[in-house]
Amino acid sequence: MKLLIVEDEKALMDNMLSYLSGGDMVCEQAATFRQAEDKLVAFSYDIIILDIMLPDGNGLNLIPLLKEYQPEAGVLIISAKNALDDRVQGLELGADDYLTKPFHLPELNARLKAIYRRRKFQGQKAVQFNEISINTDTHDASVHDTALTLTLKEHELLVFFIANKNRVLTKQSIAEHLWGDHVDLQDSFDFVYQHVKNLRKKITAAGGADYIKTIYGLGYKWSGA
Amino acid sequence: MNLIAKITVLNLLLALVAFGIGGVRVYHKFRHEIQRETDYTLRESLAEAVQTIRSGVPASDLQNRFMYITPADTVTPADTHNVFSDTLANHPALNRPELFRQLTTTRNVDGHFYRFTIMNVIIEQSDISRITENILSDLFVLLGAILLVFNFLISKWLLHPFQVTLEKIKFFNLKSGEIPELPQTTTTEFRQLNTFLTAMLHQVRKDYRALKEFSENASHEMQTPLAVASGKLELLVESPGLDSTQLQLIQDAQQALSHLSKLGEALLFLTKIENREFATQAPINFSALLTADLSTFGELAGMKGLQFSTEIKPDVQLRIDPVLAHILVGNLLKNAIRHNVDGGWIKVRLDTDCLTISNSGPDPGMPTEQLFERFQKSDQTGRSLGLGLAIVKKICEANSWQVHYTYAGGVHEITVRVA
Repeated sequence: MKLLIVEDEKALMDNMLSYLSGGDMVCEQAATFRQAEDKLVAFSYDIIILDIMLPDGNGLNLIPLLKEYQPEAGVLIISAKNALDDRVQGLELGADDYLTKPFHLPELNARLKAIYRRRKFQGQKAVQFNEISINTDTHDASVHDTALTLTLKEHELLVFFIANKNRVLTKQSIAEHLWGDHVDLQDSFDFVYQHVKNLRKKITAAGGADYIKTIYGLGYKWSGA
Repeated sequence: MNLIAKITVLNLLLALVAFGIGGVRVYHKFRHEIQRETDYTLRESLAEAVQTIRSGVPASDLQNRFMYITPADTVTPADTHNVFSDTLANHPALNRPELFRQLTTTRNVDGHFYRFTIMNVIIEQSDISRITENILSDLFVLLGAILLVFNFLISKWLLHPFQVTLEKIKFFNLKSGEIPELPQTTTTEFRQLNTFLTAMLHQVRKDYRALKEFSENASHEMQTPLAVASGKLELLVESPGLDSTQLQLIQDAQQALSHLSKLGEALLFLTKIENREFATQAPINFSALLTADLSTFGELAGMKGLQFSTEIKPDVQLRIDPVLAHILVGNLLKNAIRHNVDGGWIKVRLDTDCLTISNSGPDPGMPTEQLFERFQKSDQTGRSLGLGLAIVKKICEANSWQVHYTYAGGVHEITVRVA
């Protein structure tokens, strides 16, 4: 997956580069509107991560250009302005998703993979991990052809884990992924624990390996090749 | 009552006073003039009679119903004065007593003294006042009609620019920020008003935008470093060889950052409500919105082992911005789940004009109304922001709804009443 990250805040850019690079992702960077314009015209990308507030222009104005040159590329807007107008305008212009700063890096990663899936494998929205296969559209999942009966949240959790395999997921980032803004509940971590426990039980019961590793005091990690 | 109606009524009241005073004056003038004319006629008759007698006609021939002439023997100078008086006498034609004007005097005609009593019918006072009243009331009605028509035309023409201004101001929307074009007018007062209004609207829009921009920029400037710090911690977690104590430290730091970020968001949100950025929209189906939100919270409540029951009247339409509605419902339910007891319960009820959320829970330890203030929390050790109910209150205020919180016997109840 080839990414272009358009972000003027260098520290934030570094975070995204270090987290996303490696594996099957190749990241390029643009710190200004002008740089982004040049790269968009010259090279092709799968997904563009777009910050709205750039020193020399509004990131939203890049979307029409992108749609012209690379109609098949996905767009993920990241903005510190949780302004509804921006969100609506961005999605209307054709952005695929919108993420408000500050965000968890695993969340960014999961969203990018979801966009990539939607864009590249139209009609066949499947995630495969060893013996586990998931259809993200119908919410069906199976282990070795044994169907898993997962709740919606468990399904989301499984997709989130696999999108961030071999990375540490804090309970906090899992909770925010599953419940969004509803999670400043003190005991949301207990909910995460319950969901992880149920998911693990269901997978192993269906004959799958136990990929979820507990990292004491912090969260979980989906480990496996 | 509108301006024109008020002006018309005031004009008519003033006219009534003028007509009253005028009526009395007209009546007196009228009476005075009639009397003067009558007296003049009587004097003429007297002079004519004296002339006729002098020409040799016997005085007795001149006698008639309106003139008595008797010879007088002893005459004092006072008797020769003309004496006018009013008297009642039988009117020969009408055959009833009528008011007459009477002239009594004595004259010397060729050495003989005669006493004359001449009478003439005069118009009665009641007749004069009736006529005066008739004329004036006719005039008053005419004046009223003219005023009505005239004032109606004035309101159409003279006040037209004012009406247009009013109409345009009524539909001014700060959020869309379009300054209405106020009508050109030759009336100085309206021109001043329009100039003043336009200047004011520009200023208001400028202030509004500055405030909006400031809060958005402040949020951007705050959230970006938080995003950086939080990302660095997430990268740090990935580094190998961290022991559980170190991981715990990272986790604590991350939670503090998340708290700070949410706090900033909540404060910005409060500012936005205060800035009235959520103008009241078309009515939404509140029942549907509530039901959708409840599925998430029902699940969370279930995981905490709470009994969750709902009683939602379908298709309740309420005028509120959907974003505010979600946050209102979310904040109330978050509280109901957080401040509950083991094996407790939550009840959500929606009626056409009232949303009630009640739940079991421990004593808040302070007056319930106080919990609506910012940063007031019953549990100071918790990670809660202490802004949830403050936001609920602001949302209610922005929509002119009322919110009440009661606690009695282990039961918390929050009622949002749609005014």
